Amino acid sequence: MRNLPFEYAARNLGRSPLRLMISVVGSVLVVVLATSAFAFVRAMDRSLTGSASEDNVILLGAGSEESIERSEISASVASQAQASVFGIRSEAGKAFVSPEVHAALGVALGPDAEPAGQAVFRGMTPAAFAVHPQVRLTKGRAPNTGADEVIVGALAPTRLGVDDERLSVGESIWVDGRALTIVGRFAAPNTVMDAEVWVPLTSIQTLTRREGVSCVVLTLDEGEFADVDLFVKSRVDLELAAIPEADYYDQLNAFYRPVKMMVWITAVLIGIGGLLGGLNTMYAAFASRVREVGTLQSLGFPRRAVVLSFVQESLLASAAGAVIGALICLLLLDGVSVRFSMGAFGLLLDGPTVGFGIAAGVALGLIGAVPPTLRCLRLPVAEALKAT
Amino acid sequence: MPLIECRQLSKTYRKGAGTIKPLDGLDLDIDAGRFLALMGPSGSGKTTLLNLIAGIDRPSEGALTIGGQNIAKLSRSRLAAWRADHVGYVFQLYNLVPVLTAYENVELPLLLHKLTRRERHERVATALSLVGLADRHDHYPRQLSGGQEQRVAIARAIVTDPQIIVADEPTGDLDKPSAHAVMELLCRLNSELNKTLIMVTHDAATAEYADQTLHLDKGRLVEHSVQAAFSGETATTRPEEGAAR
Ligand SMILES: Nc1ncnc2c1ncn2[C@@H]1O[C@H](COP(=O)(O)OP(=O)(O)OP(=O)(O)O)[C@@H](O)[C@H]1O
Ligand SMILES: [Mg+2]
Repeated sequence: MRNLPFEYAARNLGRSPLRLMISVVGSVLVVVLATSAFAFVRAMDRSLTGSASEDNVILLGAGSEESIERSEISASVASQAQASVFGIRSEAGKAFVSPEVHAALGVALGPDAEPAGQAVFRGMTPAAFAVHPQVRLTKGRAPNTGADEVIVGALAPTRLGVDDERLSVGESIWVDGRALTIVGRFAAPNTVMDAEVWVPLTSIQTLTRREGVSCVVLTLDEGEFADVDLFVKSRVDLELAAIPEADYYDQLNAFYRPVKMMVWITAVLIGIGGLLGGLNTMYAAFASRVREVGTLQSLGFPRRAVVLSFVQESLLASAAGAVIGALICLLLLDGVSVRFSMGAFGLLLDGPTVGFGIAAGVALGLIGAVPPTLRCLRLPVAEALKAT
Repeated sequence: MPLIECRQLSKTYRKGAGTIKPLDGLDLDIDAGRFLALMGPSGSGKTTLLNLIAGIDRPSEGALTIGGQNIAKLSRSRLAAWRADHVGYVFQLYNLVPVLTAYENVELPLLLHKLTRRERHERVATALSLVGLADRHDHYPRQLSGGQEQRVAIARAIVTDPQIIVADEPTGDLDKPSAHAVMELLCRLNSELNKTLIMVTHDAATAEYADQTLHLDKGRLVEHSVQAAFSGETATTRPEEGAAR
């Protein structure tokens, strides 16, 4: 009770069109920034955590636990693990054991062309589809063993910075001068695999002149991680390490934490800049109302009523900006993909992300209004009434 | 019992090392229904006294009893509520809220009272017609002349039906005809509605409208003249007694 009428707050907005514009634009800026940063960080998190399957364990070279790409183990590990580890899942007589080579390779768009960019290649056998159930063929077919064929992930074009069309089924790409025909496209949404190129294991071994593999991925059924660990410890000669797939990607996620921090810090710094700019105009605008505020208080309105009204006013402007900012984000950011060293991921623009952005804009309107209002109320009523 | 009792009322401001005392041990009684003019040189403490009586400022020392209540003792928020109930303030520069219409300006103080929209409407309409501006209800202050603005401000001051109206140089910024209209209006508030009026003015002709004039100098009452309203007859009493009865 004892509040100022809402019309007072609403019409005060019109007193200085320039300030109104600055407030709205500032709010738009903050909302776009907060939404982008949040969409980026959440998508990055999701692509790394979504890459792991609960029951998967990765076998890789001892000492290369942080990077599959740097690991090299014997090609025979797959069959030995299949024979020795208890409780590996199998279906229709096929064990869920996937020997893989992971390598970042330059991709050229012509026989003699310079590489257009780098993509992560995964040398695989049909078992790869079993242990990575997130992967679905969307077009064409799987590559034939021994053939120079590849299938291309949905975000691989983004990763390579080429048109999606250019990597359609039937097109070719070149690695080290060797042609690879695209026979299929796949999608593995929200995983690092979405930006990969998959190629038969034997073909990549030839291409990269190696005999071994980078890792073997197992899916456990009745077995436990301890069963895999037991195998690793009993076969010291193979120089293996076992790590749950989830742990591997958690660790990768931790590796990217500084990147995420940088994104946040940049967003917050620009946000603070916006806030200070906004505060400045607010101070000026509210300072010109000192006598008016003194008058309102002389009529008997409590200071709280003035604070509430000025905050209302500021919230109106920032909420308008927040809506505009959210629309801009939905129009411009939705479907945008970002590349990073692990591959690429699509920005995650869902309800919570947009909600967070709007909340940031509105919160700034709230925080931004309070200090100038208190400043405006600083003088005792009798002195405020003398202000010009 | 007088409506307003000032006892040894002082106001002190710190200024650097020293202090300023715009009011210095002032004793003054004002009966209900009086129309009192306050005169005195610039800086003599007229506005300071008016603000104390209006509950806008608090005395540094002394007691200020209005309607039996010592308002010097009220907390800031209690004092705000007290102002809303008991005083209407008319300013030299009108102090209307520029983004609100004449109607909304007059309605403002009513928002501090428990009234229905309809009751508020009736009161605002009454107040606006009293000041002769019913037809200007939807005008913004910038669309009104200075004299009209001041009349809207008077409507705002009386709309809650307060006992006391204080006015600080209400005609200070107006031309003669407008000033005359405003003063006629204030006189009617006093004579017809029985409001207790305390008005600061620099102008002896304006003070003539009041039924008594007090003179302040350096925070003290120096003399006061009792005028039989509009008769020009003046009586002077000793300053220390300073009673306006
Ligand atoms: N907030 C304040 N801080 C310090 N000194 C003040 C303050 N308010 C008023 N004064 C001083 O108190 C004295 C009386 O001021 P006041 O406003 O009451 O004078 P006044 O009689 O209304 O003068 P005028 O006719 O010029 O309006 C002045 O000397 C003034 O400088
Ligand atoms: Mg004054």
